[in-house]
Amino acid sequence: MEGEAFVLKVLAALVIGAVLAGLASVAVVNVASPAPAPPNKPLYNYGGR
Amino acid sequence: MSPSLYGMRPSSSFVRIAPAALGLVLGLLALGPALGPGFTLRYDMVFVPGPVWGSHGGGFPRAVPSDQVVALLSAILPGQIVQKVLLVGIFVLAAAGAAALVPADRTADRTADGTADTAGRTAARLAAAAFYAWNAYLAQRLLLGQWALLLGFAGLPWAVRAAARGGVLRLAAALLPAAVGGFQAMLVTAVAVLPVAVWRTADGWRARARALAESVATMAVLGLPWLVPALRSDAVADPAGVAAFAPRADGPFGTLGSLLSLGGIWNAEAGVPGQGSWGTATVRLALTAVALVTFVRQARSRLEEREPYARGLAVGAAAGLVVACTGAFAPGVLQWLMGVWPGFGPFRDGQLYIAPFALVLAVGFAAAVAWLDRAVLGRFAVAAVAVPVLVLPTFALGAFGRLGSAEYPDGWRAVQAIVNRDPAPGALVTLPWGAYRAFGWNGGRVVLDPATKAFARRVVWDDALVVGLPGGGRIRVASEDPLNRRIGAVVAGGGPLTTAFAAEGVRYVLVEGQNQNAFLSRLPGAIPVWRDGELLLMRL
Repeated sequence: MEGEAFVLKVLAALVIGAVLAGLASVAVVNVASPAPAPPNKPLYNYGGR
Repeated sequence: MSPSLYGMRPSSSFVRIAPAALGLVLGLLALGPALGPGFTLRYDMVFVPGPVWGSHGGGFPRAVPSDQVVALLSAILPGQIVQKVLLVGIFVLAAAGAAALVPADRTADRTADGTADTAGRTAARLAAAAFYAWNAYLAQRLLLGQWALLLGFAGLPWAVRAAARGGVLRLAAALLPAAVGGFQAMLVTAVAVLPVAVWRTADGWRARARALAESVATMAVLGLPWLVPALRSDAVADPAGVAAFAPRADGPFGTLGSLLSLGGIWNAEAGVPGQGSWGTATVRLALTAVALVTFVRQARSRLEEREPYARGLAVGAAAGLVVACTGAFAPGVLQWLMGVWPGFGPFRDGQLYIAPFALVLAVGFAAAVAWLDRAVLGRFAVAAVAVPVLVLPTFALGAFGRLGSAEYPDGWRAVQAIVNRDPAPGALVTLPWGAYRAFGWNGGRVVLDPATKAFARRVVWDDALVVGLPGGGRIRVASEDPLNRRIGAVVAGGGPLTTAFAAEGVRYVLVEGQNQNAFLSRLPGAIPVWRDGELLLMRL
């Protein structure tokens, strides 16, 4: 029984890890897709809200 | 109870250095292309070749003494190496500091054979290290180029630890990173250190008052390099800055949700790419909830053992959140305060004061991992160290190119040499009249005009800050320095500049970019002493 509980815990951890890794992969793929060309002008705002 | 880490019992030296090593790895991963040859230039992060000693700008002394320390170090090492060491050092210091706040006895329970469970302790300490060195706060402030503030952020755990233990010299040593960072770093540190000093003792109010006085005095002495010029400065704080720099929502959970997830910086362009997506934003907020709950439970359950920093740190974190929320939800209060005394100006960028909250969450996350180690996963709990990275993966590789490195074109060194070799007095005006540039050679990354730090004489520049609004409008935060304002008015007038500039003691005019002819025609009688496709330097 103790062994089964341990396996279940490990499986739960793996599922959580897989979900996190999946979300991370989606985020990375979205960001790594081609972005518009960076600005190239002499003046620029101090960012935008 | 985990007897070992992957079958081996970590030595005590491994336990000690592992968090710093993890910080180093995370730093290398986060900085990525910024560690290549050249300087990393983005927003407020401006390093120049051959930086000069002393402060040569007007307005509030924001880069004091950080710029002077950089100049000093650059006399020994190449400037770009100094910058990279400082940036990587922030990660190492932050990670090691957060780990040092995880009490040695929390997870170092005894194993069956009576030895200390260093594996469990290592997992918790690494968890604190990873969380504190990889989060939205650090990422956003780095993308805004505020490395000097981040020195204070990295030193904060050490300062909290020192304040909890007592002793002026110990506190002074721990405050050194914040002292180098300057006013923002020290203010953020004060928010946590002062309550920790007050609540570290259960003795009466006399002992608490003494601890508070010692801490205030220590911080004041270390803050003298910027306190003195700040008090002597005739800079003014524009209340428009409250609206410009208030925290904003950078995800699906509004401004409060962003702040609780350690984001919420005012500048949308300092956001970590993709951080606003529902998936990762939800997990980050859930992580905050878990870390907060475990921090509170731990602090309560161990009250009898006098956890010496937990209560004070909690007070500091709450105070920081209140400051941040004031700018977002009650801006009128902040504007009124700034009207009463301009010294409240630094509170306009309230999000930066959530640094103690980040430390609370790091310690809480460590407690959660320690519980996982004890009750659920055993040695596999160490895998939780990856969670902070997985919930903010796009901070990696310089936030996917937002941070990079670039070499200055040769013209910059040439004009620097001409101006800095000239013994004749007189200021240098940098044009076009605007503080931030987006050079092609820097990959189009926006950066504060490098001329503000490159010359050994007074540099007159447009220190008014223009912040774009989502609807296309703009907020203009007025210039702080009187001379800058006068020169700005002359430039805006549209007429010839030579006479008016000379009357203000200007000797050089530096024009950056491709609109050199527009300014040449407005400077009759000025002698061009350097001209290439990038720069035009004229002597009056």
